[in-house]
Amino acid sequence: MRRSPVLWLFLLPGTLLYLVLFIYPTLSGMFYSFTDWDGVSPSYRMVGAANYKETLESIVFRKAFINNVKFMLVVVLFQTLLSLGLAMLLARNSRIHVLLRALYFFPTVLSSVSVGLIWSFVYDPSIGLLNLSLQKAGLESLALSWTGDAGLALYSIAAVQVWAHAGQMMIVFIAGLHSIPAELYEAARIDGGGRWQIFRKVTWPLLAPSATIVLAYTTIQSFKAFDLIFTMTDGGPNYATEILTTYIYHQAFGSYKFGSAAAGSMLFLILLSVLTALQFRALRADRVSY
Amino acid sequence: MPIQPKFTPVLLAAAVLSVSLLAGCGGGTAGQTAPSAGDGKQAASAPVTLSFLHWRGEDVKSLNGLIEKFQQENPNIRVEMQTMPSDQYQSGAQAKLTDGSSGDVFASSPGAQFEALAKAGLFTDLTGESFLSNFNESLIGPGKKDGKQLAVPFQLVYNDPIYNVKLFEKYGLTPPKDWEGFLALCAKLKEAGVIPIAFAGADIGPGQFMNTMVMNNLPSDDAFVQVGEGKAKLTDEWWVKTLSQFKELNDKGYFQPNALGTKDAAAGALFIQEKAAMLASGSYQLAQNKKQNPNLEQKLLAPITVAADKAKYEGVHTSTFLLAVNSKSKHPAEAKKFIEFLSRKETAGTYANETGQNVTVKEVQYTSKELLAAGEWSSKKTIFQPRFTITNGEIQKAVTGSIQAVLGGKSPEDAAKEAQAIVDQQIKK
Repeated sequence: MRRSPVLWLFLLPGTLLYLVLFIYPTLSGMFYSFTDWDGVSPSYRMVGAANYKETLESIVFRKAFINNVKFMLVVVLFQTLLSLGLAMLLARNSRIHVLLRALYFFPTVLSSVSVGLIWSFVYDPSIGLLNLSLQKAGLESLALSWTGDAGLALYSIAAVQVWAHAGQMMIVFIAGLHSIPAELYEAARIDGGGRWQIFRKVTWPLLAPSATIVLAYTTIQSFKAFDLIFTMTDGGPNYATEILTTYIYHQAFGSYKFGSAAAGSMLFLILLSVLTALQFRALRADRVSY
Repeated sequence: MPIQPKFTPVLLAAAVLSVSLLAGCGGGTAGQTAPSAGDGKQAASAPVTLSFLHWRGEDVKSLNGLIEKFQQENPNIRVEMQTMPSDQYQSGAQAKLTDGSSGDVFASSPGAQFEALAKAGLFTDLTGESFLSNFNESLIGPGKKDGKQLAVPFQLVYNDPIYNVKLFEKYGLTPPKDWEGFLALCAKLKEAGVIPIAFAGADIGPGQFMNTMVMNNLPSDDAFVQVGEGKAKLTDEWWVKTLSQFKELNDKGYFQPNALGTKDAAAGALFIQEKAAMLASGSYQLAQNKKQNPNLEQKLLAPITVAADKAKYEGVHTSTFLLAVNSKSKHPAEAKKFIEFLSRKETAGTYANETGQNVTVKEVQYTSKELLAAGEWSSKKTIFQPRFTITNGEIQKAVTGSIQAVLGGKSPEDAAKEAQAIVDQQIKK
């Protein structure tokens, strides 16, 4: 680099913070994953790859992984569709559209813990707002055990995740829509393109950069959805909503197996890295330039 | 497949968020041994500040008053109280304790947490301390390990369901002595349009109600210990029977509908609003219920799951809120002095009556109806909470998970088999 060495000084605070807050915990987590440390004891033993073997063989870890994949697929699909749909509807800059955008964005500013607690009450089968409303509307048959039914609980939480973050992704899509030149739409209309054709041939290809961000962010976010699940079901009933982050938490702070939890974290890191890399690769191939 | 460098920070950030959960919070001093805390026989004359760490935020007001009295009595000792919510206590307190920065006096729960802290050598041995004689000896066993008194349980909880006395009187019901009687009682309540049992199936319910449900089915008091050691199995008759009885209560509609989706607060609300006649929790909830509905008259009862002549126990107790002196404390003598102060019957009495919690200290005078109702159980035959005899957190979770599985529709045999598979993996480790 031919620039002044003084410029490097400006990078120093950020680099130090990054090393201390990100790199060091990652490396120390990696180190502990090869130990039997319980998180409390002053000593530990090196156990090699035993924690990794046990984690991969664990029935609960496997359930958590499957649940995580299901959760991710549902959230990514519905959050992307909903945020794209909202963006298409609210891309204009009229006052009402800006107001509606603010309304849809609002859940994003709430903390996940608050969202989880609020929705726990909404979903409660006996005193919850959702079932009471359905009963009042004469739809008793739709009043379900939203978080108590093992087959439904994960999807009920996924719905909250989508609700809480769709507004944020809508903003990304709106920014993408605003960056598409109006002339392209005019040209497409002159060429006789219908709405669907214009969307498919003009809007969607040019939204690819926004879609890349939305899909990558949503995938990572849904894999790390700890707060909502912890506050709403804590992984229950009977592991039906256990995902990798809650599994790691329970290993560390419920069972006092920090070594095992660190191994779970490392596997989680590898999984997330591979998934994100694949996603970027796939989406980059779809990009179109005009 | 290569990852583009510009996205590497995103990936690392995502990973670190999960890893830092562990490494960042742990803060352990691995590879070193804990320093000696000294003999703790002499209190220093120089002013010292003690840190008192626990999770009972609701007791702060009462404890502040007691701390003030203690400080008046000991002008050289200042006590700084720090509370953390119980969820965070599990994850955060241990880091504070291991570096000795907080918790000269600290509280812990029996079971997995006590075992982990004991293994880490964080307890100062209190064996032989004169204040131990202030406690009911039969109730401080959960603070013992390898013959040493490492901590003293301060609170006494009866993990028996609470019942609405007036509702029972209205329908001419009395606490039954056997399983048939319990089912008949539930049937009568249901017929009358009252929910027989409010059950928080989503969180605390399985862990609380399992204790009274299993107490008389246990082949021995250490059956769960044997499960943890691989000498007994959850597929054995006693646990499958317990699961079957859970299923029977659920199938007959004796819990509120969709009980598995109900959390503690909602189940409590059903009882407080007198829509439910019983609440499957414990004596710790009595004061809170009364606060929210002053008209409530409450007592405790335990379902007897066997014939009356086969019943070994009338209920369940837990001595908890184990007070201990941190082995890394620089002021162990002062810390012991503080525990001694709390263990006096007048101090413990003030704490009990102000917080609505029964205590393990002898000869305490309770004033509220609720404390007296729970106090009645001191003369009954109760077993220490069976769930807390499971010291492995994952086995505990598998056990309560099997109850949820049964309520969710699985057969008791299948639920027990699935839970045992998780136990088997734990035992192998």
